[in-house]
Amino acid sequence: MASISALVASSAKLQHFADQSSEEYDRQIRDLVTSLHRSLSSNALNFAANDPTLLDVGSASLWNRPENFDPATDAITYLFLLRLQIQTLQETSQEKLPADLLPSRVLWTKCVHYLKKFNPIQVRYVGHEWRQLIELVAQAAQAASKPFLATQLIKDAMLRLDPSCAVFTSTHLLLVRLCLHAKAYTCILPVLNKHICHFPGISERFPPKGAPVLCADHESSLAFITNNSGLSAPLGSRDLSRYFLYGGMVYLALKKWSEASHFLELVMAIPTTGPVSMIMVEAYKKWVLVGLLETGKLRPPPSMIAPNVYKVYQSIARPYINLANTFELRDLNRLNAEIDAARNVWSADNNSGLVAQVLDSFTVHSLVGIKSVFAALTVTELSEQTSSLPRDTDLAESVIASLIMSGSVSATLVHTPGHSEGTMLRFPSAHPSSQLHELQVQGRLARESNTLEALAASVKKSNNDIGLGDEFIDHMHKSKAWNSSGTDYSVAEDETRFDVDEDIMGDQI
Amino acid sequence: MPDAFAPAQMGSSAAPPNLSSGTGPLGETLSPMPVKVDGRTRFNRLYLIGNTSTLLAVDALKSAVAEAKSGKDVGRYEKAVRALAEVAPGEQEAALDSAWVSDIQRSVRAQSERLEHELRGYKNNLIKESIRMGNEDLGNHYYETGDLVAAAKAYSRMRDYCTTPNHIASMLFKMINVSAERGDWIGVQSNVHRLRNSQSKPEDLLKNQPKILAALGLSQMHANSFRDAAASFLAVDSSLSDTFSEIVTPNDIAVYGGLCALASMDRQELQKQVLDNPSFRHFLELEPHIRRAIAFFCNSKFRPCLDILENYRTDYLLDINLQRHVPVLYTQIRTKAIHQYLVPFSRVTLDSMAAIFAPDVIGGEARPTGLNSPFVQELIRLIKEGVLNTRIDLEKGLLVSNQTDLRIEVQTKTLDSLSSFNKEAHLRIVRAAVLHAGLEIRDSDAEQGPRQSHQGTRRGPSGYRRAGGLVG
Repeated sequence: MASISALVASSAKLQHFADQSSEEYDRQIRDLVTSLHRSLSSNALNFAANDPTLLDVGSASLWNRPENFDPATDAITYLFLLRLQIQTLQETSQEKLPADLLPSRVLWTKCVHYLKKFNPIQVRYVGHEWRQLIELVAQAAQAASKPFLATQLIKDAMLRLDPSCAVFTSTHLLLVRLCLHAKAYTCILPVLNKHICHFPGISERFPPKGAPVLCADHESSLAFITNNSGLSAPLGSRDLSRYFLYGGMVYLALKKWSEASHFLELVMAIPTTGPVSMIMVEAYKKWVLVGLLETGKLRPPPSMIAPNVYKVYQSIARPYINLANTFELRDLNRLNAEIDAARNVWSADNNSGLVAQVLDSFTVHSLVGIKSVFAALTVTELSEQTSSLPRDTDLAESVIASLIMSGSVSATLVHTPGHSEGTMLRFPSAHPSSQLHELQVQGRLARESNTLEALAASVKKSNNDIGLGDEFIDHMHKSKAWNSSGTDYSVAEDETRFDVDEDIMGDQI
Repeated sequence: MPDAFAPAQMGSSAAPPNLSSGTGPLGETLSPMPVKVDGRTRFNRLYLIGNTSTLLAVDALKSAVAEAKSGKDVGRYEKAVRALAEVAPGEQEAALDSAWVSDIQRSVRAQSERLEHELRGYKNNLIKESIRMGNEDLGNHYYETGDLVAAAKAYSRMRDYCTTPNHIASMLFKMINVSAERGDWIGVQSNVHRLRNSQSKPEDLLKNQPKILAALGLSQMHANSFRDAAASFLAVDSSLSDTFSEIVTPNDIAVYGGLCALASMDRQELQKQVLDNPSFRHFLELEPHIRRAIAFFCNSKFRPCLDILENYRTDYLLDINLQRHVPVLYTQIRTKAIHQYLVPFSRVTLDSMAAIFAPDVIGGEARPTGLNSPFVQELIRLIKEGVLNTRIDLEKGLLVSNQTDLRIEVQTKTLDSLSSFNKEAHLRIVRAAVLHAGLEIRDSDAEQGPRQSHQGTRRGPSGYRRAGGLVG
């Protein structure tokens, strides 16, 4: 066993089974994992620990060596050997992050090669090792102050493992934190744009009878991302709220207000048994500011936030609510006073940047109000109508010009020769060319319907889970909806599915 | 005397009508009004004119004093004399006739005692009809002497002794009279409803219908629901004539009904329900200028219509029922006129609008359609209130109506609702999943680090309650 040829043989055997039935494939993979674990603990693999040529990437001379494993087919063996090498290096150098692991060194290249190519099915069986590798890569990139190198890699690896990304894992949190460090905001969008609907650990408590094996095709990635799979570290409510908050911050940095407020609302609406966490309050503060930026007013909160929680938000985030109320009054001087008065609050909450943007957006929002009344007016008349522009006409004109150029206001400035009253500001009628509009509508429609489909699938899954959950069965007992005579499980399950379906979506209309 | 009328300054920007010449509408008001109005409202109307109009104060108050002296209400007499003494201390009537006052007071007291005594006698005899009449006499007496609270009480005591529907109807009408004079319009309304529900014979009900509708219309007008009021007034039958003159005259019905209809109905409704209404035509014939104004409005000739109303503004400001509502009614009529005027236009010059709706602005201001002219400010206010769906183009001096593309609007709306539905659905799914995975925030989170989710087996009773709440 303890030779490279034995490993090659077992991997060839595995590849042979890859095309066979998934049950057989599953058994073979499990066998391989156990045997690898055994050889690892018995130090039978030590021969490979220091062989730098093993697992080598790209060098053409070694390409034809039979023992050169390919992550796409031998993800498990490759991962074990890679980990073995890293561990050996860690032990010899007495460092957690040996120099060889840092970006552009030997081991880093191997990690990159692996993460780009690994076989997503096989990795399901070695979740712990896979996650450790991801974490190591992240740490190495950070240690070299190059977090950006890891972001793309981890994102691709996540999408490779679980294209739907609907199950929350600790890797999500790791990635979003890394992206914030690296300021690589657009990089994480493919992950953020997927809707997280599940959390590991739900279904493994109630393994469905006759469920397909791990390597089979699953409807939901929840089947292989569980607490025991190791693909995610154990999670707490704090991880969850942090992820959504960080995600919201990424969108904020990209000025995607509506997505940002959705993420912040997710944090605000996290259910609680009573206490309110500071993360939720932070989210609320940012949410108020985003609302001002997006719509120019204080929006009503999502209906599912419990009133007592909302009261806590309001009492803690008082300066923000004052700011919003002043904003709605459309009085620049009072807004400035309000912002100045609570300047230390903004900087303590790290929201100074957002508040500055709120101030900038004030002119835009008041111009929108003007636009609904006037089709055209001179700049002088405009500054009489709104307090948000400088008194000086030339200054006001340049402010308006910059707003038009930035695209936040659709209007045109017209200089007329001989018109003594100065520059004319003209707002075009509200509608863009219909051709362009139709295309936009189509695009949006496609996006929303994709979302809807994804959500509908998740609802189906959740219904199933909740229908099987012990709380629900307990509830059914209590509410006596449980058919007292019939203990036929399947009938009850069907009923519950129907009930739950109504409840989750029922009160939206 | 440029501002002869104090009320004329109340929000009216139009030139005061030619009052001094004596041919104005007001000259007609004072002379016919006391002829047509009976009862206590006659004094009230005179007194109101005396207090609000400076030009007619002396005449009106003199008539008021005479009116009060012909009755038995000492309070009213004193009030009128005081008011007259302020305006014209030199007049002969401005001196209080104390002999008359004490004389009347004595006789009133005697009469009250006598009636109370008689009522007690009837009560001892337990004859229902006598008790009812005793209460009625007492109520009438209190009403005449100005003790309205006591009058209302006496009338309401009649209720238990009414034996026929006719009695009930007459009692309720007396209650309406008292309530109307007290300004208790809610009381008027409730009594009107009682009248409607009373079990009178159909022919009696038919006879009372005009009076009921007139009272209802009045109370609705005072409650600022002009559309309902218009409907009530318009339904009043011409058989009302002078039968209800202690509250309203047919002329009043025409004016109130016409103004309320103008303020609340569109052109088709005005044509159909007012001008082509055979029974209301009789009323309109009494006040032809209202008829003319409505006809002008229906033919989209807004300037003459508004001119007529402006000419009569002072007149209506002296009306006891209309006084409070004139500014509101006039603003509503004007707003509606502007709105109707804009219907056929996709763009219209501000100048042509100002010529119709603000002729005095044209002459008076340097830039009649500039931003600061009151007319443009009025338009801005209307646009902001959402009455007008237009925008102002100050460069070309145009009012441009907003073109709405229904297709785009529907598309945008649909997409917005879709995306908000998606968002909320996601929020709810996440919440359900969080609860199910046991990841909700608990007290212990404050002290401990991140919890491990597979502690789900240790969840407290609250976890069960929440999950139950979600699915149940």
